[in-house]
Amino acid sequence: MRARAVALLDRHGVAVNHPQAVERLRAAGCRVDAGDKRVRIPAELTTEAVAAAPRSITLCGKDPRHDLRLPRADGTFWMRTGTGAHGFIEPHTSAYRKLVLDDVRTIATLADTLSEVGFIAHPFVNGVPEVTADVHGLGTLLAYSTKHNWIQPYGTENIAYLLRLAALTAGGEAALRARPIVSCIVCSFTPLEFKTMDVEALIQCARLGVPIHACSLPTAGGTAPVTMPGTVLMAVAEILAMVVLAHVLGPGTPVIATPLIFCLDMRSGRSLQSSVEALAGASMAVQVMKRGFGLPTHTYGAGSDTPDIDGQSQAERALIAFLVGLAGADVLGGVGQLECATVFSPVQAVIDNELGAMARNYLRTAAIDDESLAWDDLLKLDPGGNFLATEHTLRHCRTGFAPAAFTRQARDAYEAAGRRDLAAQARDMLDGILRAHPARPVVDAATEAEMRRVIAGADAKIAG
Amino acid sequence: MAEDLDTRLDAIYDAVLAYEAGRAAELVRQETARGTGCQQILTDALIAAMDEVGDQFAEGRLFVPEMLMAAKAMKAGLEVLRPLLSATDAKPIGTIVIGTVHKDLHDIGKNLVGMMMEGGGLKVIDLGVDVPPDRFLAAAQEHRPDVIGLSALLTTTMPNMRKTVDMLRGVGYNGRIMVGGAPVNAAFAEAIGADGFAPDAPGAVKLARKFIGAADA
Ligand code: B12
Repeated sequence: MRARAVALLDRHGVAVNHPQAVERLRAAGCRVDAGDKRVRIPAELTTEAVAAAPRSITLCGKDPRHDLRLPRADGTFWMRTGTGAHGFIEPHTSAYRKLVLDDVRTIATLADTLSEVGFIAHPFVNGVPEVTADVHGLGTLLAYSTKHNWIQPYGTENIAYLLRLAALTAGGEAALRARPIVSCIVCSFTPLEFKTMDVEALIQCARLGVPIHACSLPTAGGTAPVTMPGTVLMAVAEILAMVVLAHVLGPGTPVIATPLIFCLDMRSGRSLQSSVEALAGASMAVQVMKRGFGLPTHTYGAGSDTPDIDGQSQAERALIAFLVGLAGADVLGGVGQLECATVFSPVQAVIDNELGAMARNYLRTAAIDDESLAWDDLLKLDPGGNFLATEHTLRHCRTGFAPAAFTRQARDAYEAAGRRDLAAQARDMLDGILRAHPARPVVDAATEAEMRRVIAGADAKIAG
Repeated sequence: MAEDLDTRLDAIYDAVLAYEAGRAAELVRQETARGTGCQQILTDALIAAMDEVGDQFAEGRLFVPEMLMAAKAMKAGLEVLRPLLSATDAKPIGTIVIGTVHKDLHDIGKNLVGMMMEGGGLKVIDLGVDVPPDRFLAAAQEHRPDVIGLSALLTTTMPNMRKTVDMLRGVGYNGRIMVGGAPVNAAFAEAIGADGFAPDAPGAVKLARKFIGAADA
């Protein structure tokens, strides 16, 4: 797979819709026919770029206690909230409606408190000019969360505004460079092409030292081969191309390999993120990028194709979290997302946090030594003895995972409590969190006012 | 041996269901040579086959690529008929101009809809992706389509659907306009003055045929 990906870039190449970038790639040794945008990347350059790419990356929180180091010290992962959702599921009525700016504040406050969520992405915001919805969404996230934020630009012109908001919050461009409180998605345009917007995002992020999530979203059977290894090859090649782009256009820029694998449901024609094939593809792509090329990785580690917080949703996201976690992903995306990344549910986000915590506890395999084997106790064991109140049990009784949303009630207590299920429990937890943490800006009034000016500027210039 | 007409039309129908484009075209050619009416071949063999395909797809028995292969076979047969159809007074099947609106590059859904429309017997003019309103307008004037289909997958580009509809109506385009794509719904279609919305490709074909007034729709 590794050799084929490098060979695909060498023999087929990628189309880059950005003349200056093409020129610099040519200068770096890529083969480009005159007047063409197809860039063939020699194997040596790919190898060089991969070797030069940072192996560990820090995503800074606005509050340094929320700094994330990738790979995570304990060998597990961080989660991040779903991006791009335009729909919202009301916590209490489960009614579907359009997502608005107030919901971004809810997401920011909630995600700030969720232990497994390392950073927060902006959903799509309705009720503001559509073309600057990203600027409004990010502005709110920056102002209302203390964790790291993820940028997803919707237009080339928007990138500068998004980064200006980040710099304002960080305390200037130098401060942003020193502590990147945001990172940004850069997408390929599968198959094997790059849009102007994404190349521009890469260049502008590189200038400010903002890490990028080099994201490939192939759709098996649509924009990529229907057979999963072919789709994975496409994702791996496109991500490597972005590693090369970063190496040439902004050497040293931190790159997180981000394969997001979709499938076209051959029966209905719908786009799927949680089919068995998509999960297998994501796990495979993560392994190639992480174990094969040594790069930090990010993929969906939550999310479902069903529209509701139902049983299917829990089954699919549990499968994803465990599978990509085992594959070695450093970031598990998609917290709270439903219906193939188009809807956000805060109740689901609370459940995802718990599923993520479970997966992390599972992945932190215990060392096998005398202490974990309880060797001394075993040697001293009397016939009919037990482990209930030994010193050893006392030492370890709190290391097991104690769920907050999952029930362990017996029948009587369960009936007495009114047969409350996982979603009901998560809903209560959500209410408790939002009561205890009313949305409050984390930036000072002057900064907030300045941010509002930037957003208004974007509205005037882009939405004008 | 002179088989009866029904058996021969069935053979065309079967060729479509077996995804055999070459055979479908050849059988249609033989049938027209015998003097069978174009409209009859179209309705009783080709469209009947695609209706069956549509049903099987809706029931989950036929998968997307199978449906598209059948659509190709249908189209091959239709290509033989097309010049004859326009030479006679047979009811035209209808033309659709389709494209993804300005600034939007998502085309998997639009392509599916386009291919299914061809399978549904429509002539499809695909303008591709990132199509500004004036290109839809130019295509409307050039091809005089019965239906214009707009696709958008980004909430940021949905306003470009409205702009396109406004512009088309502004110059007096009086055909039908349908819209679709993941974030689009019937309420939005109505709000921007489009004539209809369909959530998926088979639905889009049904709607187009309803608009065109196909007898069997
Ligand atoms: C695949 C995909 C891509 C691919 C597109 C490849 C291609 N050639 O099309 C790539 C990776 C290039 C891409 C890019 C982007 N994408 Co995208 N993408 C998707 C994804 C995962 C699936 C879309 C898809 O192909 N579905 C499968 C097809 C078959 O379904 P469909 O399009 O809905 O079509 C069906 C129906 O809607 C209907 N239909 C469609 N068109 C029409 C037309 C008519 C007339 C009718 C009647 C019916 C109809 O019939 C179809 C068949 O049944 C969606 C998520 C999602 N669940 O939709 C995000 C999604 C749409 N993308 C999104 C975003 C943000 C982007 C980018 C901005 C990301 C970036 N930073 O680069 C860019 C924008 C590029 C641009 N300018 O257009 C967001 C949109 C957020 C929003 N609410 O606006 C989504 C929701 C993902 C997310 N959560 O972030 N994307």
